[in-house]
Amino acid sequence: MYPIILLSVLGIVVLFLGFMKSKNILLPATLLFLALALGSNFIDWNQGPLLYFYGMFSVTNLTLAFNAIVLISAFLIVAMTRGFQDDEEAQPAEYYGIMLFSLVGAIMIIGYEHLIIFFVGIEILSVAMYILTGSDKRNLRSNEASLKYFLMGAFATGIMLFGIALLYGATGAFSLTGIRGFVSTAAGAQSYILYAGLLLLLIGMLFKVSAAPFHFWTPDVYDGAPSIFTTFMSTIVKTAGFAAIFRLLSHSFAGIYDFWYITLAVITVLTLFVGNVVAVYQDSFKRMMAYSSISHAGYLLIALTALTAQTERSILFYSMAYSVATISAFGVLMLIAKEKSLDGRPNESYDAFNGLAKQNPLLAFVLTVSMLSLAGIPLTAGFWGKFFVFSSAADRGLIWMLVVAVLMSAVGIYYYFRVVIASYMKEGNTGKIRVAPFYQIVLVAATVITILFGLAPGFFEQLL
Amino acid sequence: MLSDFGTIFLFILAAVALVSMMLGMARLLRPNNPNEEKLSTYESGEEPLGNANVQFNVRFYVVALIFVLFDVELIFLFPWAVVFGNEDLIQQTNGQWGWFALAEMTVFVGILVLGLAYAWAKGYLDWVRPEPKTPHVDSPVPTSLYQQVNEKYKKS
Repeated sequence: MYPIILLSVLGIVVLFLGFMKSKNILLPATLLFLALALGSNFIDWNQGPLLYFYGMFSVTNLTLAFNAIVLISAFLIVAMTRGFQDDEEAQPAEYYGIMLFSLVGAIMIIGYEHLIIFFVGIEILSVAMYILTGSDKRNLRSNEASLKYFLMGAFATGIMLFGIALLYGATGAFSLTGIRGFVSTAAGAQSYILYAGLLLLLIGMLFKVSAAPFHFWTPDVYDGAPSIFTTFMSTIVKTAGFAAIFRLLSHSFAGIYDFWYITLAVITVLTLFVGNVVAVYQDSFKRMMAYSSISHAGYLLIALTALTAQTERSILFYSMAYSVATISAFGVLMLIAKEKSLDGRPNESYDAFNGLAKQNPLLAFVLTVSMLSLAGIPLTAGFWGKFFVFSSAADRGLIWMLVVAVLMSAVGIYYYFRVVIASYMKEGNTGKIRVAPFYQIVLVAATVITILFGLAPGFFEQLL
Repeated sequence: MLSDFGTIFLFILAAVALVSMMLGMARLLRPNNPNEEKLSTYESGEEPLGNANVQFNVRFYVVALIFVLFDVELIFLFPWAVVFGNEDLIQQTNGQWGWFALAEMTVFVGILVLGLAYAWAKGYLDWVRPEPKTPHVDSPVPTSLYQQVNEKYKKS
């Protein structure tokens, strides 16, 4: 609850800091504000389940852990922006302000107890993302991405609202507890209006986390947006979105599991298939990462479909591993794309990575670790993430889904290793890339987290 | 037994029926002899000129956005105003209620004012006027000569 208030106020402060002559203060100020928000997040730690804002917002250790992942990811991403000094058209104060505001939305959808709070949160998050996607105003593809994302997102929001309205019509309640109370009655478990409402709401939510068949916006938007905001979108929106879906399904609709799990299972398999198979055919690393984010949405959906007692932990661990690996992968991509720019635009193809390891061994190592983690190779956090997800599916007896998932992660190894092969085996000259010390710290920190949780996943369990 | 959604469905049916009945009646009763003047678009008495699908100056949108912001703020002020003066609440809290409600609304309006100040400082409220171009003539005759002539023949 505290980070919501703090980030809302500090976002406005950042906006007004932008009026100062020197822009150098913005980056340290934003990092300080994020650290403050992270600290305030833990005020409620171990205080038991609390309800705030007249029972509309709930705080548990689980939601606080999700908040921490989101805030730490944001901290790492903001540290990689370097104050947007490379681009004279950039408006750093506005970017940082919008990033802080979007975190408010993310935290609201992580801990909502009332569907109105959920709706407001997801709008804050999405509108901020629409703006950041189109922030590269002179780039036509960025404009296209922003418009596409906005139009499709507006439709998804509309569908979601229909769902919420039908749920209210069926149950007479907006709160998750009230809906659960209705679902547990005999009449509630049979209500078709409730079923329709749940499906519409799920469609809207799955759109936001880019699950197939609602994924069509993802490649264009991730490709068109400036890389730094693609990182922001693919980590924070996904983590918060899955926390929100998990909350809805586990708190309110666990009683009618038999109704929704088939729908979700089909979507899961479709997402895994589309994400992994289409990623193979991409020539651009950034576009591959967009499809990879679809496929990771698929793995997270496996845990949701299983919905065992372990699900919350596996989602938490998986989103942590995925976020950290994605941040370091995009961090390396941004450096190289800028170094090898073609016609003034960053070069994001696989070829740009050729011969990276010779002159930049550290960058190549960071990239390799993050690719291994995303592919789910042992000794990285991504392996344990997949392991937890798969084992919860096995507990539920979803063996056929497990078979598809394992096959698809084998496909994943192919396209994740393409860039590793390019950087180690192929001939090419990247030149010595100068990495700012702050940037280097972020990359190393992300890599260390990935390896640390790969070696000792139990450490994470003890933190909770 | 009709559920609440059934009532809504009946309401939709009634709305469709009412509108089609009224338009149908008008169609039966009115004389029908159109001419070009009558069929032209109504633009507050102005003669319609050109296509409506033209590019508007982008500043209109900025001003409209800021207007909508404060329009919506007003909508939020109405329900607040209703509970602000609620005597029961004031008595129950020994008059603290009024201060509480006032402080809450000050925060809300304050944030919006900050937004307006931001837009103002950024210069989004400035409507850049087109610079008037005064015609300039390169003539060998100095301006003072014209002025002398003017002075001389000035009607007293």
